[in-house]
Amino acid sequence: MRNDKAERMNYNYRRAARFLSYWVVAVLGIAGLTLVLNMVFLFASSVVYVNTDTQYIYGGSVMEALTLTQNGYVLDREMEEELARKDQWAMLLDENGRVIWSARKPEELEDEYSRSDIARMSKWYLKGYPVQMRVWDDRIMIVGMQKETMWKYPIEFTIPWMTFVERTILAFLFINLAWIVVFAFVFAKRFTRKREQARIEWIAGISHDIRTPLSVVMGYADTLEHSEGLSVEARQQAAVIRHQSMVMKELIADLNLTSQLEYSMQALRKEKVRPAEIIRGVAVSFLNDSLPGELEIDMRIEPDAEQLCINADRQLFVRIFRNLINNSIKHSGKSGSVEIRISMWQEKKKCQIHLEDNGVGYSEEVLCRLRSRKKEQAGENIRGLQIVKKIILAHGGKIRFGNGEEGGGYCTMTLRCGRK
Amino acid sequence: MNLYDCKILLVDDEKALRDMVSGFLRRAGFHKVTVAANCLEAEELFALKEPHLVLLDVMLPDGDGFSLLKKLRQMSEVPVIFLSARDEDASRLRGLGLGADDYITKPFLPEELILRVTAVLKRVYRVKSMQETEILTLGRCTVDLGSGVVRWTGDKENSAAEEIALTAKEYAILQKLAQERGRIVTIDALCDAVWQEENFGYENTLVVHIRRLREKIEEDPSHPKYLLTVRGLGYRLV
Repeated sequence: MRNDKAERMNYNYRRAARFLSYWVVAVLGIAGLTLVLNMVFLFASSVVYVNTDTQYIYGGSVMEALTLTQNGYVLDREMEEELARKDQWAMLLDENGRVIWSARKPEELEDEYSRSDIARMSKWYLKGYPVQMRVWDDRIMIVGMQKETMWKYPIEFTIPWMTFVERTILAFLFINLAWIVVFAFVFAKRFTRKREQARIEWIAGISHDIRTPLSVVMGYADTLEHSEGLSVEARQQAAVIRHQSMVMKELIADLNLTSQLEYSMQALRKEKVRPAEIIRGVAVSFLNDSLPGELEIDMRIEPDAEQLCINADRQLFVRIFRNLINNSIKHSGKSGSVEIRISMWQEKKKCQIHLEDNGVGYSEEVLCRLRSRKKEQAGENIRGLQIVKKIILAHGGKIRFGNGEEGGGYCTMTLRCGRK
Repeated sequence: MNLYDCKILLVDDEKALRDMVSGFLRRAGFHKVTVAANCLEAEELFALKEPHLVLLDVMLPDGDGFSLLKKLRQMSEVPVIFLSARDEDASRLRGLGLGADDYITKPFLPEELILRVTAVLKRVYRVKSMQETEILTLGRCTVDLGSGVVRWTGDKENSAAEEIALTAKEYAILQKLAQERGRIVTIDALCDAVWQEENFGYENTLVVHIRRLREKIEEDPSHPKYLLTVRGLGYRLV
């Protein structure tokens, strides 16, 4: 039982797992792509920045290069050349705002500055010249550049504003993350669907294309089989062709059905069906086609199970019982009549259907394969039973195969049901 | 009208299949078979020949059989049988309620095709083939399936011949069983025949009708010789 459940879970979640893996890949993919794009952009812009920006000299370095001698202030030769090369100038003010030293100072600038001048230039420009200042004890070192070479604005924000900005940036980050996740979700879903759909359609297309030529083969083989002018041998050969064509027909139908059950639950065309009616119909069609005494079907449907209804695909349900009865006939093992007992009853709001035969039963290997979660291995052909299992699982039911005490094989199905 | 005088239009894009099917139909006796390879040709020939039955492939090069059927339906009520190469078509045909009379899934055997064509033609045009009999003979009793009257021929003990009329429900049951004579008919199929749709829960009533029917057609109703019960499944008329 535990195995059964695990198997059904496995069946139902295989799709989900496949989808999830696509999703994870998509999330990682999109996030990775974004990261790479950002890195490339940052790298490119930094290259451009390095190429355009020329390092300029700050007040501090000029100050370090300046020494006080008996003849006043003297600037290092190196620094002097540097200033010239970068087309910068410098001046030193004393505590009263008078210029006590200067290098390459533009001529239009004055030699004395008031407090308000200093306050203004510290924030903005000095007559259009961008300047930087460094306070040195009671003196002020001012290093300037040429006009229109520096963008300069004082920046100040209130603390609450900065906290707000911080939070907004964080929020944006999360929104982006969520977006990536959602986008990847949709993408993965599409992709999964598309892949499954493509596969189903491919198989459906092939089986469609095979059927028409097969009709012709079957039709003419049948004609040859019944044509009087041919030798007995030739007619027997035609019969073999016809029979083998029928086998091919079954194979194609099985292939198509398996692919649909495997990949898409939407393939089910569910309607309210009465299992009692379906089982009787299938049993009778087998009985009507069999010779007297060849097949016996003992049908026991409890009166209260007669009106049970299940939500199911009618064609597939017919298929279940056709396959099961066919299997019982094929594996009857003994000569003489095939006996099949079918019973149906209601138990705890579930519809129980039990089918048992008097044949040789299932081999250990077959039972093992029917229970296994793995994909089909090689061995005895049990495609019919696998399809039965798939149909039941696709309808959310449970199925159990086993051997009865008297040797025959049995199959018990449990399905959710309602009442008409 | 003779069954074999019915005109049949066959629409399929595959020449090999067209040749084969028209060959089968001709050999079966239908000598007025016309073939078309696509929707356009089919429409033209339909207007020209006014066939009694159309055999229609679902997949055609210039459209699908379903839409062609819709077009044909605007012009006439001609019976249509679909030839489909896909499993899914069967359910689609049922679901759409397009008014197709039957469908055959490829690949098919010639007999199946001929049987279905004949069945549809008989049903729609009520033509009778030669061997079909209206009289059902069950030992000393004969049932006229046209009028629903049971006639008992006299024997040594009871010399008078007798006539009993069947009720509508008994008649429906007997007709269904006679159609499938020798074969088992399920309880559900009989209920379908008698009460048409929404027939669930009539199984017990059916038993009552069967008993009454036996009283009319069987010599010993408690030991029936002709209308047999197949336990758990249905009934059979032998």
